[in-house]
Amino acid sequence: MYFQQSMEPVTTLLSLLLVMAVDSTRSVTLCRNQQCGNFLQQTLKLTRLIHKESVDLIKIYKTTQGDMSELFCKISINNVPDPNISGLDPSERIVSIYSHIQAFLPHFKRVYEQQTDLQLPTNTLMTELTRVSNRSSSLAAMVNCIYQSLFPNMPVPEPAGGPTSLPPSQNIFQQKVYGCVVLKRYKEFLSNAARELRTVKTQVCKKRTQMNVLS
Amino acid sequence: MTAYHRGLLHVLAWVCLASSLPASAEHEYHVMVVPQSPVVEIGSNFTATCMLINTSEATADDLYWISSRSVIPKEQYTKISGSAVNVTITITRDTPQWLLCKCRKPSSPYITIHEGKFVHGILLRKGYHPEKPENLSCVAIQEKDLISPNITCVWEPGIYRSQDLKTKYTLCVTLPGETQKVEAKQNNSAQITFQIFPNHVELDFWVEAENMLGKAESEHLIAEADWFVKTNPPSDVKAISEKQFPTSLLIKWIRPIAKEYVTLMYQIRYRSNRSPSWRNVPPVDIAKEIESFRLQELQPDTVYVIQVRCKSAREGYGYWSSWSANATARTPEDIPKSEPDLWRISRNEREVLLVCKDPVLSNGKIRSFNTSVRRGKASSSTTSVNRSDSDGSSSKIVITILGLIDLPKRETVYVEVVAINSVGKSPKARLEIPAHGAAHERSPAEGLKSWSQSGQLWLEWQPPKVTAGGDAVTEYVVEWDDGLQIDWQRERGNTTRTAIRGSLEKFKRYTISVYSLYSGSIGTPVSVEDFLEQGVPSEGPSVKLNGTPGTHEAQLVWKEIPQDKQHGFITNYTIFYSAGTEEHAIPVPNDTYSYPLRSLSSDTKYEAWISASTIRGSVNGTKHSFSTLKYAPGEIEGIVVGVCLGFLFIVLLAVLICIYKRDIIKKNFWPQIPNPGNSSIGTWSPDFPSKADTPKENAPADVSVVEVDLLDRKSVFEEDKACLPLKKDKYLSEEHSSGIGGSSCMSSPRQSVSDSDEGGDSSETTASTVQYSSVVACSGYKGQTPSSLPKTQQPTFFRSESTQPLLDFEENPDIPRQENSRQFGRLPRNPSFRHSPTSEDSSNSADVNQLEMEDRGGMESLSFCPVEEGPQQTIPTEESQSSDWQQGVPVCSYMPQLGGYRPQ
Repeated sequence: MYFQQSMEPVTTLLSLLLVMAVDSTRSVTLCRNQQCGNFLQQTLKLTRLIHKESVDLIKIYKTTQGDMSELFCKISINNVPDPNISGLDPSERIVSIYSHIQAFLPHFKRVYEQQTDLQLPTNTLMTELTRVSNRSSSLAAMVNCIYQSLFPNMPVPEPAGGPTSLPPSQNIFQQKVYGCVVLKRYKEFLSNAARELRTVKTQVCKKRTQMNVLS
Repeated sequence: MTAYHRGLLHVLAWVCLASSLPASAEHEYHVMVVPQSPVVEIGSNFTATCMLINTSEATADDLYWISSRSVIPKEQYTKISGSAVNVTITITRDTPQWLLCKCRKPSSPYITIHEGKFVHGILLRKGYHPEKPENLSCVAIQEKDLISPNITCVWEPGIYRSQDLKTKYTLCVTLPGETQKVEAKQNNSAQITFQIFPNHVELDFWVEAENMLGKAESEHLIAEADWFVKTNPPSDVKAISEKQFPTSLLIKWIRPIAKEYVTLMYQIRYRSNRSPSWRNVPPVDIAKEIESFRLQELQPDTVYVIQVRCKSAREGYGYWSSWSANATARTPEDIPKSEPDLWRISRNEREVLLVCKDPVLSNGKIRSFNTSVRRGKASSSTTSVNRSDSDGSSSKIVITILGLIDLPKRETVYVEVVAINSVGKSPKARLEIPAHGAAHERSPAEGLKSWSQSGQLWLEWQPPKVTAGGDAVTEYVVEWDDGLQIDWQRERGNTTRTAIRGSLEKFKRYTISVYSLYSGSIGTPVSVEDFLEQGVPSEGPSVKLNGTPGTHEAQLVWKEIPQDKQHGFITNYTIFYSAGTEEHAIPVPNDTYSYPLRSLSSDTKYEAWISASTIRGSVNGTKHSFSTLKYAPGEIEGIVVGVCLGFLFIVLLAVLICIYKRDIIKKNFWPQIPNPGNSSIGTWSPDFPSKADTPKENAPADVSVVEVDLLDRKSVFEEDKACLPLKKDKYLSEEHSSGIGGSSCMSSPRQSVSDSDEGGDSSETTASTVQYSSVVACSGYKGQTPSSLPKTQQPTFFRSESTQPLLDFEENPDIPRQENSRQFGRLPRNPSFRHSPTSEDSSNSADVNQLEMEDRGGMESLSFCPVEEGPQQTIPTEESQSSDWQQGVPVCSYMPQLGGYRPQ
């Protein structure tokens, strides 16, 4: 017993070191150094997949919002991230993609919460919302990794403009309009992101390949 | 953990333990071992420390180690202080679990008394370091339109060698943003579940195996999620036939999952419905992400079955899906590309039946055959056939009968046949049927033999001898006939070995013939009989008797088993027959259909049956029961005839005897009865003394036995007894017979035979019983032979020739005595006793009796006095008169009537 008691501090220390080691390993695992083209290709395919799912999601959304669904989706509102990607060079544009994804995630969360009150939990809309949201998280992680991989000496991008501002409390009409706008904007963003990633792949990876060949 | 670290920890633990022990000074143990309950790896060295605590009774030199009741040698000890000693042992599979440290110091009474305080042990838990899991693989299957978020991984855990240590397996996966670990329930598989399947995301799988000795990690399986995907097969696969392309089919399908999830590549395979084997379309011919394909180089008018499957288009990624459901379509028809298979079946020498099969490349449904027969002048005919749609898809080859043709004498017949389908005509098939006898000019194939192998019947032959200037064989036709159906196949001219491709049945006898064809001309066949597979006959032969069984033999007959029930070549028959428990078996050759059973027992029921045998076994036929005769035929008749003949012979003999001996018989059976009316008393012989003096010296020789009746006081000579049984029987059976007038009312019933057994002497009187007469031979001595008498002495007979009934006293001279002693009348006779004739008593008694009778006769008065019932009669015979009377005095019931018939 005495022996065990005397060993406790040692064990605690060892455990702490182990956690640190594991954590460091995990960060490495998150962004494995891959070939530029492959990694971007994966990210591009994932972007297309989310785009495809977002299209399906909008269809499902419209079918689940009742008679005025088309009207809901034609109204534009503010406080929803802009789908356009900003930045001049690839690093900025990648950061922009990453920031947009991060910005959209809270809105997805809000839409999910609002639709939870309006739909049954088993409704396909809820499932698809969750799916798109989850995939978007993965996409954000992958874009982050691309950024770290392509620009290892640059700081990890943080969401521009601080935390995302969410709309205040809304009535049901406003919620439905809001939800449709978020989905549409996100779909547009994904379309833009896919295009941008293809461009980045062409520009950056080709350049890196040439550099590797020269070196 | 290295050995250095382990040693460091060990020392550290020892120090800690040692420092903690004073706190428990009252501890009962004075010996302590560290480490406690260690887990040790097999094959490694293990060091344990034993130390003395709170005692000065002993030192480290008194400590010793025990493993499995044996003391560990001192060479393995290391003394680390005055109160502690180490031991190092190599851990093996056989190392005992317990390691003990003891203190031994005989000089210390305390240690001796408190031995339990100076021993301590530890339990060794042995095992191996966990092995690295190998061959990790994971799969995620499609569910509905998406890939399932459940990923199942399997691996090989390695040889599980640690019996004492449990190994824990953990499946780990890392993807951007998260790491998941799942403890495996089995040691070789686990399932991990994501919220959604992470399409296009790189995943990193590995497995950790961990036990108390350490941890091992498998190789990492790092791949994009598509790597692990197994989709559903393509759906709604269709095959479309286009009339303008008789050798092509267009295939269409729907991909199972959206291309955004998985990019797919496909594999297509097809087969005709007649073939069980699939053909794959070369992968290079199939582009990625397609949803239609055109199959080419197919057979016209053939039903094809097509299947499609898919997988991730990326090289090495994903798993092939299952094959899709069958898509079936028939290619359009085309003109027949090969000639029909023309053949003939001989009916007899003058007639053949023309038959043919559809062309192999019929390319459509044959509608008709155009047959042309040329023999002298050509003739042609068209045979229409009506094939159902199923015929094309059936693997069974249809044989069409084209017709029966007569074979003209000495003229070869040439036959040509063309098959016609909806598109066009086939090439011509030709057959030349030589004139009768001409075929025999071509020698047959030689050495034809057959055998069964791998479910097929194989044939081998040698080509026929080619005669000088003769044609070479262009092809062979192998024909097989099971008695009901005939089929054939063609082989090339250089073939000497082939298997019959038709569907042969087991247990059926086939007659296989090989024909040599010389440019369409048929040669002489050679034949052999064989079975695809032999079996036990389905039934045995029915045995019966030929005729009726004899006393010791029976002829069994049976018939050959019908060929369709033989199921093989009959090797032999075995005849069984039994009577009761004993069973006999007689094997006979297979060409025997009757057998005579011999050496049977007469008048016995037998059961007989026949067992037919093939190389595969035997089967018994029905039993037949029969019984052998008790008498042979004619035996009874012979006996009857013999008996009859014997009887007839006896009758004839009797008749002849009667004829030739009628006088004697007449004399015996119908004696001449003298007329009493003519009777007179006289002496018809010379003087004969009524009482002759028998020479004394003759008595012993002539008289041997004298039987004396107590009642009658009669004695009989021994020689007279020979005739007693017959006489006695006769007398007894005729007890009441009385001869002539024996039952006259006037005459009282009398004894016709004397009661005495000695009455035998009176048997001679039977035939000459005369009621009214009494012949008395009153010779001097009974039993005295006449020869012994002096010839000069002529016997004197007194005879009454009167028909007048005798007086009572004449008939029964003893009546007075019976009357006087009637109570003795029916007493049983005394047993006879014998006297020597020389006995004075017998002779004396005889004399006395005779004298008495004479006296009585003189004294008794004449009166009718019936004697008691059942009198005995004396029936004197002539013989007795002639011989016995002469030889001796008969034992007569009539006492000599001395009074009335005394010689005068």
